[in-house]
Amino acid sequence: MRLDTSALDNHFAAPAGNEFSGILATDNVPSLEFPEVATCNDFDGFQKATKEMLNHKKGTTTLAFIFDKGVIVAADSRASMGGYISSQTVRKIIEINPYMLGTMAGGAADCQFWHRNLGVKCRLHELANKRRISIAGSSKTLANILYSYRGMGLSIGTMIAGFDETGPGLYYVDSEGARLKGTRFSVGSGSLYAYGILDEGYKFSMPIEEAAELARRAIYHATHRDGASGGCVSVYYVGPDGWKKLSGDDVGELHYQYNPVQEAFVEQQMAEVPAA
Amino acid sequence: IFEYNGSAVVAMVGKNCFAIASDRRLGVQLQTVATDFQRVFEIHPKLYIGLSGLASDAQTLYQRLVFKHKLYQLREERDMKPETFASLVSAMLYEKRFGPYFCQPIIAGLGQDDVPFICTMDCIGAKELAKDFVVSGTASESLYGACESMYKPNMEPDELFETISQALLSSVDRDCLSGWGGYVLVVTPTEVTERVLKGRMD
Repeated sequence: MRLDTSALDNHFAAPAGNEFSGILATDNVPSLEFPEVATCNDFDGFQKATKEMLNHKKGTTTLAFIFDKGVIVAADSRASMGGYISSQTVRKIIEINPYMLGTMAGGAADCQFWHRNLGVKCRLHELANKRRISIAGSSKTLANILYSYRGMGLSIGTMIAGFDETGPGLYYVDSEGARLKGTRFSVGSGSLYAYGILDEGYKFSMPIEEAAELARRAIYHATHRDGASGGCVSVYYVGPDGWKKLSGDDVGELHYQYNPVQEAFVEQQMAEVPAA
Repeated sequence: IFEYNGSAVVAMVGKNCFAIASDRRLGVQLQTVATDFQRVFEIHPKLYIGLSGLASDAQTLYQRLVFKHKLYQLREERDMKPETFASLVSAMLYEKRFGPYFCQPIIAGLGQDDVPFICTMDCIGAKELAKDFVVSGTASESLYGACESMYKPNMEPDELFETISQALLSSVDRDCLSGWGGYVLVVTPTEVTERVLKGRMD
């Protein structure tokens, strides 16, 4: 049976020449006419602009630090779209599994999806290897995934915090593909304000309550100064037995707790004169 | 550029009285620089102007308006009526039509026979008179919604104060760039009350 190879025939009358002049020769190739209307001269710029549209510049404050008893993770709860506050009650600390937490900064959808995906991969690792994945391993998994999407417009600035066999672990992972191991991190537009308080009050050896109060204060100060952070402060503690939520306080109330209203000193006050 | 400093100003009319309120934040984009910034200024005891938008233009415009009003007082030997003042502001803003002041003023005053007068204008002087309330600033959309639902005509000064405070605080809670407290001025023919509101400081 003779194979019918007519489909492979080259109908373009292409002159023999260097490798590039085959089908790509423009001489007698019928070319497609583009309509006058919707051509884009700068397609790369256009593509960049569409990605920038979704770039909300990580309006948030999250922090995490390691101390002798484990890891403390804290975050605010405001979601903003430009100047508009879309929600004051967003859960920015995502529970990947009972001993690992991830924080959300950047695009909410991106963070939620990829953290859940990471949870799936960690569980698969547990089932395949009959032991829990280490924090180093899970953060590396996430970092590799994000690196492969680098440049496509994902916006994620997350910290993976947890407790494994080697002790407490804290890694910063972001959508540019960075993965940093450290003891103190703060991510988001309010991170600079939080770093000020955190660095000042940090000691390696602290009771859990004191560490939680440090985290709460740091986030509170960031919400006070930064317009894109606010709502409630949630503080989580990750210890050898897994994570535990320690507190969730409304920042409006925290302000008046830290700065109680002083009665203004009144020198003289007008009094009602009783009608004679 | 209107969202560089962040602001929220609202004025409401009641029964023979009016109230004008503003937030107190001064920011540089997302960073808060001050929480006691004044946006509502007195021209004379029965005429107030609230200026939202770029803070430096608000202060400059206020200084120029006070200057013009003082000259008027010297020449006419009386205070300016609110309607006249609104026309003055509108003309001043249109003078800078092709390089405007980035402000949206709200003018509130008690006119002839103590009838309350409020109006707002855009940054080039288009006057908009209203009988009930006027809003401006970065939180203006939330303010429109809050005022529309909370406003009733002919409110007494105390009720008016409550209403305008609630409208202001709930609207700025939906705006990243304004808030951090509130400042309310309630003006009746016999007295002027200024109050500072405790708000969410985030």
